[in-house]
Amino acid sequence: MRKSTAVWLVLATLTPAAARADAPAGQGDVALTIYNNDLALVQDTRELALPGGRSRQEFPEVSAAIRPETVTLAGEGIGIVEQNFDYDLLTPAKLMDKAVGQTVTLVRTNPATGAETSESAQILANNAGTVVRIGQRIEFLGGDGRRVMFSSLPPNLRASPTLSVTLDTARAGRRPLTLNYLSSGFGWHADYVALFDERAGKLDLQGWVTLNNTSGTGFANAKVVLVAGSPGAMNAAPNYGRARLVPGNRMGTESANRERLGDYYLYPLAGRTTVANAQQKQVSFLSANGVPAVKRYLFRADWLENETEARSADTVLQFSSAKSGGLGDALPAGAVRIYMRDAHGQPQFIGENSIDHTPMGSVLAIKTGEAFDVKVQPNMEKRDRITSDEWVRTERWRIVIDGRPGAVIERQDAKEFWRTTMSYTVTNAKPEPVKVEVVQRGLDRWWWYDLHVPSESIKGEQRSADERAWLVDVPANGQTKLTVQFDTRY
Amino acid sequence: MRPWALLALAAAPVGAEPVVTSDGPGKVAVTIYRAPERRTDEAMDRDWLQGYALVTEIREVTLPAGRATLRFEGVAAGMLPESALVNGLPAGVHEKNLDAELLSPRNLYARMWGRPVTLRRRNARTGAVTEEPAVIRSGPDGAMIVQTRTGFEATNCGPLRDDLVYPEVPEGLSARPTLSVETDSPMAVKATVTLSYLAWGFDWQSNYVVHMRKDGRADVLAWVTLASSDSTGFVDAAAAVVGGKVNREDSAPGDRWQDELVLHCFYRPLPPPPVPPPPPQMAAPMAAMEEDIVVTAARRKESLSSAPLAVTAVEEGLGDLRLYRVPVPTTVAAHAQKQVALLQLDGVKLQAVFRSEVWVRNAFEGNPTRLLRLHNRKSDGLGRALPAGQVAVFEDFGVRPLLAGEGSLRDLAVDEEADIPIGEATQVTVTGEESEDGEQKLTVRNANPFAVRFEAALMHDADDRIERASATIVRDKGQDLWRTPVPANGTRVLRYRVHDGNDGH
Repeated sequence: MRKSTAVWLVLATLTPAAARADAPAGQGDVALTIYNNDLALVQDTRELALPGGRSRQEFPEVSAAIRPETVTLAGEGIGIVEQNFDYDLLTPAKLMDKAVGQTVTLVRTNPATGAETSESAQILANNAGTVVRIGQRIEFLGGDGRRVMFSSLPPNLRASPTLSVTLDTARAGRRPLTLNYLSSGFGWHADYVALFDERAGKLDLQGWVTLNNTSGTGFANAKVVLVAGSPGAMNAAPNYGRARLVPGNRMGTESANRERLGDYYLYPLAGRTTVANAQQKQVSFLSANGVPAVKRYLFRADWLENETEARSADTVLQFSSAKSGGLGDALPAGAVRIYMRDAHGQPQFIGENSIDHTPMGSVLAIKTGEAFDVKVQPNMEKRDRITSDEWVRTERWRIVIDGRPGAVIERQDAKEFWRTTMSYTVTNAKPEPVKVEVVQRGLDRWWWYDLHVPSESIKGEQRSADERAWLVDVPANGQTKLTVQFDTRY
Repeated sequence: MRPWALLALAAAPVGAEPVVTSDGPGKVAVTIYRAPERRTDEAMDRDWLQGYALVTEIREVTLPAGRATLRFEGVAAGMLPESALVNGLPAGVHEKNLDAELLSPRNLYARMWGRPVTLRRRNARTGAVTEEPAVIRSGPDGAMIVQTRTGFEATNCGPLRDDLVYPEVPEGLSARPTLSVETDSPMAVKATVTLSYLAWGFDWQSNYVVHMRKDGRADVLAWVTLASSDSTGFVDAAAAVVGGKVNREDSAPGDRWQDELVLHCFYRPLPPPPVPPPPPQMAAPMAAMEEDIVVTAARRKESLSSAPLAVTAVEEGLGDLRLYRVPVPTTVAAHAQKQVALLQLDGVKLQAVFRSEVWVRNAFEGNPTRLLRLHNRKSDGLGRALPAGQVAVFEDFGVRPLLAGEGSLRDLAVDEEADIPIGEATQVTVTGEESEDGEQKLTVRNANPFAVRFEAALMHDADDRIERASATIVRDKGQDLWRTPVPANGTRVLRYRVHDGNDGH
């Protein structure tokens, strides 16, 4: 093998100077600004020795997911003639295509002796098959035991996508050039770890930013800034889901003491960091201890819901992001994982949920799971037709929302109305009393909203045209039955 | 228990921070959560476990002064890195990284671009093998084009079968995703680090074995079955399972996939080269790949009569969930399932009920459902929080117990009532008829030589009303019910009318 080692050395010297090392050698001083929506701004300042006049400069090791139309190059005393992004990759088919008209060597191995014989051939065409001229004969290559040796690689085929720029330089010499471009393949979100102490009613919250690089290229020793926002994503629909699902969420109006870019908060990472390809990196950005937090139980019943067995109430954790009485920071969108200590003091996972970008001063209500021991059984006890006279008698219990009743139904319009008696049996198998928020939804029946609630065993609160809520106190290991009468048009 | 994990100060690359590798946990706790979407009557699929676990590991590490990278090996393969928490480092955690650039044929090829490798060529006809040095000249997308002494060549595009032989594994490629943290310690220190994370590929369920006794009471034995499809085993772990419904955002596994190295030739695509031999296995003594089923406590055989249970899971409240702890250290092995007794209750009061749901005004004939009705309270021999699971009912036939029915139970809190359907009756039948004047007649017939308890739920629209019934109709849990005993080989009849809410007044 001594001989072969020598050849290796020869080959190694054939390798161009830009042989790929582990750290991308081509990159300069890199700054990454990463947005939430699969987007990053890459700023790469490289020191290049430029000749005077026109020259073509290559920038290897740019992001493989570069958006080449966004490239700008800045430097002293240079003018840009043209920019090229070459992503014509070297493949056997392209190698053969570009060799048309050139001379290659065909090597045939004698199957019996293993002896190799070579002959020269000119490639005439490569159209669904390769036609060659060998001496005075015309043949085609068909995998018939001959290998094709090329004397060189075509100049514009590359192993990886490469940016090249033709520059017009007034004065030769070394200078820094700054390359700016957008790239996909980057993203980040927040991950929160909340340790909830139920007895103390306190929450310890840690925030981590989690960033991903799937761009195909790694960046060493980069300055990294994360932007809590998605520029360009303008069709984002409002989130109708969460506010309706868990009442108690309220967006805040306070400004956090952080750097910002327009409407977005910035989260710069301290020092320089390496963002490797296919890496998920997490950096701590928030730590708040002893944030007041309460646990709530929530149950929503559908209109005329009648169950033969009880359903679990949702467990909801509520806390504030306000400066006073809260954790005092804006929260970028992400997942909140909630832990509680077990009887041995070891933290155990009790549930998670996701949050949107949340300004400081907000109240967050997060569903963590469903309660094993707190359940509600909604039952329709009775549903009767009532006359319009009876309807008028219950008029003083008409529900008024925002000082304005719904479409009041005139007596002559309709002769029949409905009286529905619902019961909600709330059970608590826990050794301490609980409060359960029971919500009846589906009260807004299209255009004829007019609702009377002539009797209810606990005073309710009309939250909207659609929902009425009651706060039910349930004793330890006991149950409470809430009964409500609804008079409606249908 | 295993001794404290051995630590190695790996040779650091020039100019980089030292790397400290922790190759396995000293102490570990595994808490398993049920698959969020699996129904209680659905069995676990051992090949595709959709639940998850919280793994808490205690590791002892020796850190040098200054900044260092601490790599955790031997973590669960299904780890969700964003859930990882590291506590106990002297100056906290600077940053956490999960490196998913794995040692694969494609990554190996891509990292060796422009570097010398050995081209091993085999003559397909003679089998003669020659080797020659070469340099990789193309990227991994498309083909393997190399430079040899004689020129440039696309490999595998002739009569020779070519393979690349690499001199080394390039730095930065790991056998599987590895979590590392950046630390900064003011001095060299021995630290006890707690690493906790969520991981997919675990599940558990409870199984109830109900043995009906001659005196009408039942003996109930419940098992917790916990399973792991992870390739990492956890030795002598503090194991626990959590009952109740935990909210999860979907972050299911499987979104990290690796591109394959697919090579093409001038003529036709060629199959990819053989995968290089796998790197030496990490020291994971528990990685027994075959499935084994372990039963911890002695499982009762032929007779279901009481055999003492050595170990029973201990229940405690965890917020609004229930935690069931295995009180002794146990091994949660890779690709394995094990069972631990959850509880044993003797003399439980269970009521056998035959029940039909009958839509009024419909002529029909059918068989009621056999169900077991229970009230989860002390006076009935129960009164424990019962996690959801499958129920198997046995009855004695001569000397042997036989399976009499199967069903499932939802999460049941103390003092709740539950019906467990265990099968369809064959000897009890229900017939519904409507006479010409609108009178409804419901007949239940019992062909058994013993009396049965029967219940019919009369189903109707919300504004319909049952009237002039020949027996008492009770309203319970939002349903109109006719409850009657049916004597041995006897018949019972209910006559009633339906007042139609749409008839007006």
